[in-house]
Amino acid sequence: MKQYIIRRLLQMIPTLIGVSIIIFAISSLVPGDYITAQNNPNMTQEKAQQLREIYGLDKPAVQRYFIWIGNMLTGNMGDSLVHKEPVTTVIDNYVWNSFIIAFFSLLFAWIIAIFAGVFSARFQYSLFDKIVTLLIFLSMSLPSFFLGLFLIKTLSLGLGITPVGGMTTAGLNAHGWAYMVDVLKHAFLPVLVLTMLSTGSLTRYFRTSMLEVIHMDYIRTARAKGLHERVVIFKHALRNAMLPAITLLGFELPGLFGGAIILEKIFIWPGVGQVYLESINMRDYPFMLGFTIFIALLTLLGNLLSDVLYGIADPRIRLK
Amino acid sequence: MKRKLSIFLLTLAMFGGLLAGCGGGDEKAADPAPTEQGTQNKTDDSQKTDDTAKTDDTAKTDDAKQDDAATDQNDGLFPATDPASSPATAMNRKDTLIVGMTAPKGIFSPFYGETAYDQYVVKAMFDSFTEVQKDGTYGNSLAEKVDVSPDGLKYTFHLKPGLKYSDGTPMTVKDYVFALKVLLDGSYDGPSDMLSVKIKGAQEYHDGKAKDISGVKVIDDNTVEVTVLEPQAMTKDNLGTVYMVPEAYYGKGYKQGNVESIKALNNKPVGSGQYVLTKYAPGQEVDLTANPNYFKGAPKVKNIVFKTTTEETKMAMLQSGETDMDMVTVSEDNVEELKSYGFLDVNIFPTNGYGYVQFNHKLKKYQDLKVRQALVYGLNRAEIVEGVYGKYADVINIPQSKVSWAYTDENIEKYEFNLDKAKQLLDEAGWKVGSDGIREKDGEKFKINFSATADNSVVNALIPIMTQNYKELGVELISETLDFNAVMDKKDKGDYDMFFAAWGLSADPDNTIFITDGAQNKMGYSNKKVDELMEKAKVELDQNKRKELYKEMYQELNRDLPMIFMYQRRDMWPINARVKGFDLSPYKDFSYGLYNAELSQ
Repeated sequence: MKQYIIRRLLQMIPTLIGVSIIIFAISSLVPGDYITAQNNPNMTQEKAQQLREIYGLDKPAVQRYFIWIGNMLTGNMGDSLVHKEPVTTVIDNYVWNSFIIAFFSLLFAWIIAIFAGVFSARFQYSLFDKIVTLLIFLSMSLPSFFLGLFLIKTLSLGLGITPVGGMTTAGLNAHGWAYMVDVLKHAFLPVLVLTMLSTGSLTRYFRTSMLEVIHMDYIRTARAKGLHERVVIFKHALRNAMLPAITLLGFELPGLFGGAIILEKIFIWPGVGQVYLESINMRDYPFMLGFTIFIALLTLLGNLLSDVLYGIADPRIRLK
Repeated sequence: MKRKLSIFLLTLAMFGGLLAGCGGGDEKAADPAPTEQGTQNKTDDSQKTDDTAKTDDTAKTDDAKQDDAATDQNDGLFPATDPASSPATAMNRKDTLIVGMTAPKGIFSPFYGETAYDQYVVKAMFDSFTEVQKDGTYGNSLAEKVDVSPDGLKYTFHLKPGLKYSDGTPMTVKDYVFALKVLLDGSYDGPSDMLSVKIKGAQEYHDGKAKDISGVKVIDDNTVEVTVLEPQAMTKDNLGTVYMVPEAYYGKGYKQGNVESIKALNNKPVGSGQYVLTKYAPGQEVDLTANPNYFKGAPKVKNIVFKTTTEETKMAMLQSGETDMDMVTVSEDNVEELKSYGFLDVNIFPTNGYGYVQFNHKLKKYQDLKVRQALVYGLNRAEIVEGVYGKYADVINIPQSKVSWAYTDENIEKYEFNLDKAKQLLDEAGWKVGSDGIREKDGEKFKINFSATADNSVVNALIPIMTQNYKELGVELISETLDFNAVMDKKDKGDYDMFFAAWGLSADPDNTIFITDGAQNKMGYSNKKVDELMEKAKVELDQNKRKELYKEMYQELNRDLPMIFMYQRRDMWPINARVKGFDLSPYKDFSYGLYNAELSQ
């Protein structure tokens, strides 16, 4: 197992290098740079040239790549051009906000999906199953921004029970417990929307997985032996059905930190997704590239995590 | 049978569910706006220009135009009709004013603040010798008086005595000299361009050849004299709007050639201004508390919060009282909605900027004046502008704002939509209609490759109308949509025919867009008369004489059509009626007058 993990970690290195070359190539092919993005009618040619020199934008792409990679290897992602701060600081400022929403919606989505999926499979073709399927398709087909805005209109403006947006109430300098309550109040709507959107497909996935397992011979055996239905479903069937789901969990890792770009805009949630989108618009290369590598790393780690967890959970798999 | 029935019912229910979801979508709010960026560019701290090409309008173009029976007024103050209906959330905030805005980047430094939003914070915290007034001219702020020598080369600033920074440090002109040094430092990479002010000795300091700036002399603690190499109309205010910063705080660790220590203080500002920064939560809010020792008088509102809002929900936040004021894109729908709340004073004034369609003068066909004229006469600008902004925008014919002192409409040709005239002009220019309906000359067909940005409501209205108008003219329009940066890149490389963009105007009319080889003249336009007039006006110190020179210049630009001038739209600041004391103008935004604001109880 340890050998396997080490080998996989080593394999990640050439993958990351390849990723870095590709994203750097794409970023240098895209027209425009930070200076053009500012579109300052008063900027003189000399000033523009000066700025390009200071930022190193006037060097050829290959040279810039090696400078950047060299810095990255020492952990220095460079300074964000838009924020004028180290990229790592900027990410740190925003990523934990995204993490809060992503984490809670992941938690709720999975719990709801597991139960809905299990019962749906157990009572296949029943009224419950049909209603659940309907709700799933509904929630999957509604666009996130529509759902978000609709909930704001009905719950925040209409009923006044939730705030319109933001992460905290402006001007309220709460600390400790009061602060957490304030954040949770504001997180309610974004988490609700995100949960609604992801539960749908997850439920479908678990239902299918569960259905497969329920028709297996060993389930029939368990029932024949006289075990309680509850034990048969939740102990034997569910554990086997969950195995493929564990691989899914590993892939959720980059999603936890990536930020939900659209929802962050709608709910004015200070997450890292909208910062990332803006950096692309403003051609803020250090941030853009730094964050992309960060997500790429998380994706690869998530991949590894999936495989390792699967190996641990399923005794039939031997990882070599 | 049972299965078939269930499937049928299921499908029916699903359709029902989907249709139910379709209706009732909030029209204004449902359009996801592209990332709004107000990029701030400044030659000096008071010149604000907003990147209006990207600040976009989210309201949908209404096919059935609303009959606005109320009034024809399309700017000014629309007072609240029912101030008592202000929501409790707002009314209960007795000592805090909440301003909604796009998130600042946290660069609260007079040296490095770039976006308009960071600049609002800077303006709330720092002062300078002179500052912009309501009408776009400059008046004294920290300065008691400013002496200008008759030859325009020596500027003496007299600082008001006895002023202190918020941390108690006394203010002297040595702080001013320090600020100049930072701005002229060789490693300074912020937006200001002090070198263009041509202070004597600045270039040497910049290149590291001198330890001090020879043209800057400290006469005493409250008097400083600056000598420049050539007189320019803007020099006094370019010098006067440099923010005063405490050298003791910002200068710690500063060495010529290394500004890193100053950049490190970007989010820990200390100044002499109206408010002091107490908290900054990135992407969320900026908290400011009044500076009781402010030299113009202690601010009446104790706390100010700049809360981050986005296009989709800023009106909802005003409605619920979560914010007291915000800048909302002007469209007929938005204005009606905001007026309908009843408790908002709606301020609408002309934007400091304009939209235009640029010609590439390096291409032969645009070098013919008749062709350019034809393309303007042949385009129904009024229809486009009205389609996007309703009555809240004007078609313009010179590149200047209506509220500027330099504006003129004397002898300005309006170029009203006239297809026959346009056709006639093209015939005269030698472009004859070919067999396929497209004009041709010397074997070349009149085709225009039009570059435009995606997700832009003006472009969405412009392209169909332009295609149609020009088709009748015999000109074929092929449009391509790209992202903003790609269009700007093409502009820089000269790789385009025509494109649509918009930009901001500074308080002073001087710019480099129309002069030959000007820094922002990427279209290859060249006109000797314009060059001459711009040059004269740049160095003329007498405002009235400058006005005359600019009048002539605008008349020439209007006649010579370097670009198709499209529109000047409006900016809108709805403010909760409980807030009094703001005196807004396109040049003097709310951040200048925060200390005057008060909350009625």
